[in-house]
Amino acid sequence: MKVGFFIGCNIAFNRPDLEQAVRYTFPALGVELDDLEGQSCCPTWGTMPSIDPVGWYAVGARNLAIAEEKRVEMITACSTCYGSLAKTAHKLQTHRETRNRVNRLLKSIGKEYRGTSRIRHVVYYLYHEIGPEKIKASIKHGLERLSVAIQPGCLSLWPSEIQPEKEADVFHPKILRELCEVLGASAPPYSRILDCCGMGGMRSTDMEKSFILVERKLVTMKKELNPDLIVTGCSSCLIQLDTAQEFLQNKGKINFAIPVLHYVQLLAVCLGAEPQQVAGLARTPVLHLLNKIREG
Amino acid sequence: MLRSGETFEIINLSKGEAGFAEEIKKMGGERILECIQCGKCAATCPLALAGFPFFNKRVIHAILNGLKEVLLNDISIWACQSCNRCTETCPRRVDPFEIMMAMRRVAVRKYALPATAIKGIKSLYDVGHAVYLSEAGEPRKKLGLPEKPPTTVADPEALAEVQSILRKTSLATLGIIPMGEFGIFGI
Ligand code: SF4
Ligand code: SF4
Repeated sequence: MKVGFFIGCNIAFNRPDLEQAVRYTFPALGVELDDLEGQSCCPTWGTMPSIDPVGWYAVGARNLAIAEEKRVEMITACSTCYGSLAKTAHKLQTHRETRNRVNRLLKSIGKEYRGTSRIRHVVYYLYHEIGPEKIKASIKHGLERLSVAIQPGCLSLWPSEIQPEKEADVFHPKILRELCEVLGASAPPYSRILDCCGMGGMRSTDMEKSFILVERKLVTMKKELNPDLIVTGCSSCLIQLDTAQEFLQNKGKINFAIPVLHYVQLLAVCLGAEPQQVAGLARTPVLHLLNKIREG
Repeated sequence: MLRSGETFEIINLSKGEAGFAEEIKKMGGERILECIQCGKCAATCPLALAGFPFFNKRVIHAILNGLKEVLLNDISIWACQSCNRCTETCPRRVDPFEIMMAMRRVAVRKYALPATAIKGIKSLYDVGHAVYLSEAGEPRKKLGLPEKPPTTVADPEALAEVQSILRKTSLATLGIIPMGEFGIFGI
């Protein structure tokens, strides 16, 4: 099995340890990664989507065309990339005129969007393509007695209508919970499971307001679950939940620290990866926990 | 109710800009007139939860009343998380997310966009990534990864393709960022 790895800006430049986690996990599960050389930004919301929709779809379609040329599907560990590329693909498949305009732009650089590839979220790919059984059979270290709070990531859930893969009930997401459970952890629901982490446009526009959301989320997790670990499916949620804690502690808003990992980082360690390599850039300390997991 | 000493701004609806909703439709907010102001989108909106004055429902309301200046002078639309909760929940299939984007497209044409947005757009053009950290090479190397990921940052031809696309969009006519033939070396 082979799949294209759409890396995404935040992972490549802010959390390359997550990139390394993907590069460890997929081959370990028998999936070869194609680098999709020359890929760019998805592009994200504050850029072309806010200026010119055809330009947005054209930059996205160029990325999809790279995967098409290589005859592979694409995976991403970033829910924003997933959302942007899924919207692009949906528009091009349902709107002939837009597709023609986009293909005229792509023609000028010798490319074409045909609609033969698709973007897949790593969480859904792991769940549907690899499957909980195989994951369970492949891990070297289990997470028995570990309790986890999950954060799915907005765009892996919504808008469900246009997404190639989704939850059976988007308002009660279960897939990420189940994937944590096959590793041996408990991953119960909590009241603010659907709340936004506050990253994205909000964080760059008004950090203080963005931190209102992340604080509420963290405090709810702490109060209701008191988890050992937060596990997310989205690189943006990872950055926000991880980096906000030190700030909130310094401001006296929270007096606890909960380590945060992307699911693929956690899976990588369960499969035998060196924690430092796949989670070494976390700001909220996590290595002590991962080393304990490795020691069994 | 106002306490003594407090003031509030009176919005003069008769000064609203006729045709604003039409402009939003052209910019991608095609179903704006289907909105019945039920507020379901607002109930799920992170903007509302965080205390921004103009979240989805209120942006639509302001547009329908022609209050362009009010929206151009407010930062809320740029804090939209593009999370699509509103698009998921709207019973009228208005796609409020697209209306937030359409409003941004209108604002950009009036140069009413925050510096952080300009930075992201410039970075997309210069290196092919909206988020880019030139100092990421060292941590990448330490993790055993190549200093540059296999993207436009490591491939000048690929970057030239992205730039060539961008130069054929309305970004080129807006003049928000320098877009010379040769990317970062251009003028
Ligand atoms: S949910 Fe839809 S119909 Fe209701 S206020 Fe929002 S956009 Fe309008
Ligand atoms: S996409 Fe924007 S307007 Fe819609 S719910 Fe999310 S933050 Fe609110």
